Amino acid sequence: MAQASTYSPALSGNPQSATGRAYPNGNPALGYNPPGIRNTDSALPLHRRTPVVHDYAGDGPAPGNLAFRWTYGSNVAARNRDPRVQVVQYNEDSFVLRQNVCVHWEAPFTYLLFGNKGALLIDSGATADARHYPLRETVDAILARWGQARGRRKVPLTIALTSGEDVAQNQGLAQFAGRPDTTIVPKPLEVMKRFYRLDRSWPSGTGTIDLGDRVIEVIPTPGTHRDGVSFYDPYCDFLFTGDLLFPGKINIGNDRDFVASLERLKTFAARRPVKWILGGHVEMMFVPGKYYPRFATYKPYERPLEMEAGLIDEALDHARAVQGKDMMLIRPDFVLFNGVSPDQKTPVWPAGVPDINPPRPF
Amino acid sequence: MDRRTFLSVNAAAAAVPLAGAAGIGLADAAVRPAPIDFGSNLPAPGNFPARWICGSSSCMDNTDPPVQVHWYNPHTAILRQNKAYSYEAPFAPLYFGNDRVLLLDEGFVQLRNDWDLRSVVDGCIDDWCRRNGRDPAGMELLVAFSHLHADHYAATNQFADRPNTRYMGLTHEEMVGFWGMTNYPEERVTLDLGGRDILIWGSPGHVISEFAYYDTYTQILFTGDMFYRGRCYISFWEPWFDSMKRLIAFCDTHPVSHVMGCHVEISRDGQDYAYGMTWQPDEAPVEMTVRQLREAYAYAQTITKPGIYFTGTVFLCNQTRGTTTIDRNPYRYG
Repeated sequence: MAQASTYSPALSGNPQSATGRAYPNGNPALGYNPPGIRNTDSALPLHRRTPVVHDYAGDGPAPGNLAFRWTYGSNVAARNRDPRVQVVQYNEDSFVLRQNVCVHWEAPFTYLLFGNKGALLIDSGATADARHYPLRETVDAILARWGQARGRRKVPLTIALTSGEDVAQNQGLAQFAGRPDTTIVPKPLEVMKRFYRLDRSWPSGTGTIDLGDRVIEVIPTPGTHRDGVSFYDPYCDFLFTGDLLFPGKINIGNDRDFVASLERLKTFAARRPVKWILGGHVEMMFVPGKYYPRFATYKPYERPLEMEAGLIDEALDHARAVQGKDMMLIRPDFVLFNGVSPDQKTPVWPAGVPDINPPRPF
Repeated sequence: MDRRTFLSVNAAAAAVPLAGAAGIGLADAAVRPAPIDFGSNLPAPGNFPARWICGSSSCMDNTDPPVQVHWYNPHTAILRQNKAYSYEAPFAPLYFGNDRVLLLDEGFVQLRNDWDLRSVVDGCIDDWCRRNGRDPAGMELLVAFSHLHADHYAATNQFADRPNTRYMGLTHEEMVGFWGMTNYPEERVTLDLGGRDILIWGSPGHVISEFAYYDTYTQILFTGDMFYRGRCYISFWEPWFDSMKRLIAFCDTHPVSHVMGCHVEISRDGQDYAYGMTWQPDEAPVEMTVRQLREAYAYAQTITKPGIYFTGTVFLCNQTRGTTTIDRNPYRYG
């Protein structure tokens, strides 16, 4: 039977051809080794003699995405079988790790950033026991894999906390005790200031952590914690704010410091590009102004983690509104608690914000 | 079961003909061992565990049984939901009589494949029947609850297909009707489990629809969520205070071995475990003494305003639910 001169997928009767490709089974006329092969990535890298040196300078934020949904616990926490540490790779050199909410209800986020000379782990999770929360094992595995891909035998690790006193972020540190090639930023406030060379200027000025062509800036941001700091990554244009600013219930430790820190962040964001603000937790739901209670182990309707830079202004405005008052204040993307119990409730609903009841799982 | 027959033949009324000789089949009577004597040597001795299973730092690593079963004595089991299955972790007594079994409270997880209360209760009944030479199929199970809150009736549906079982309905009318009351909350009715009497009366205050249960065999007074070792959320002060008066009056005329509530939310040294916590490593015992109840009543007489009051045993949260709690932000600084 004679072949038609052009192949029509619609007439082929082949369900695979729904893609509309002219040759759903390949075109033998093109040969087996077309030149395009040379332009694709290989899973088998050439044996490099020297480590890869990545160029972290560039216009605009480095591309990347947080395309996966965060694990959100389960109705019966004891029966949860999700990963204990959820790893999401934002781009080749930036990872976001999240603790399973059924291991600890705070479900903190931990960030792992790589540069040409080393890696930085921001925060360390809420559970010290490595059997329940194998943070070190996970970080070691990521480091080993990254090192292989980059031709590096050793990847020095620095561990810094957005707040040394925050038990929802400092518990995992214990797992890194005695780890070779590891620098842990000391926890006591005075020692930490000296480490960042901020002892003279605190709380103004900025310190740095150099990862090798990727210089992370350290901004003092006390307010929710006495020793709070934020980190700025000029490669991805991220601001890591920990407990100071995150989509959740922000418990203000000292309102004067809180306002001053947000002002500093605002000034900082005005002169540096900020793509996203990434906080330490998510407690808001995906409807405005609604949040999960403390100790919840099932949060199926969480708001996304990332916040736009404009939220600093909004937080600052409302931080000024609660300054000096014992009250809580609901905003669409966060809730401020100043001088009241973390379980405080209020009948006051913000004007102009739709009051939507999210579905309640039972 | 047809809802109408369920309501018209209520459990308390049905107790009378069944206890008489006419209700027992002849073949049954031949193999049936002598009835257990629940009426003498009271109160029946029993003990509470030194520590209940009380959650774990990591919920998903909890390996404890979903329901802790503690035999207070050979004819009384006390069940507790595992904190890693629900932070409410209510306690649920299971009282055995010669003819029927009473389960009070059904936990805060609905589905059997999430939390299999039904099999645990069936297991307890089988266990008891084996020990006492009964046929489990011949024992009627009454599935009731202390009050109309979901953390006390969520698993009721797990018993929907169980033979020889009656369960309380989820409305005030069905609850009061289940115990055959016509004058709630003052009326005190007697439920006969077969030689073992349970006294039941109304105890509103935490919610409108709540009962107090007194077991004449162990002399445990089960006070539900109206009075328990933790934060007694008092929604309606006047009814709650009247219910306290009824409890005190009852204790004046009846021997009470223990006062027992549905939850524990407080540590041995009086520290509050905040609402929703799934790990209470040093929790206080669930059982309380009559003296502690009287102290709380004495304290309550001085309360005139909404607020949170600590009586030395329990927190009385007078009309404060939804507005405030005891907890503070630990990271505040000057």
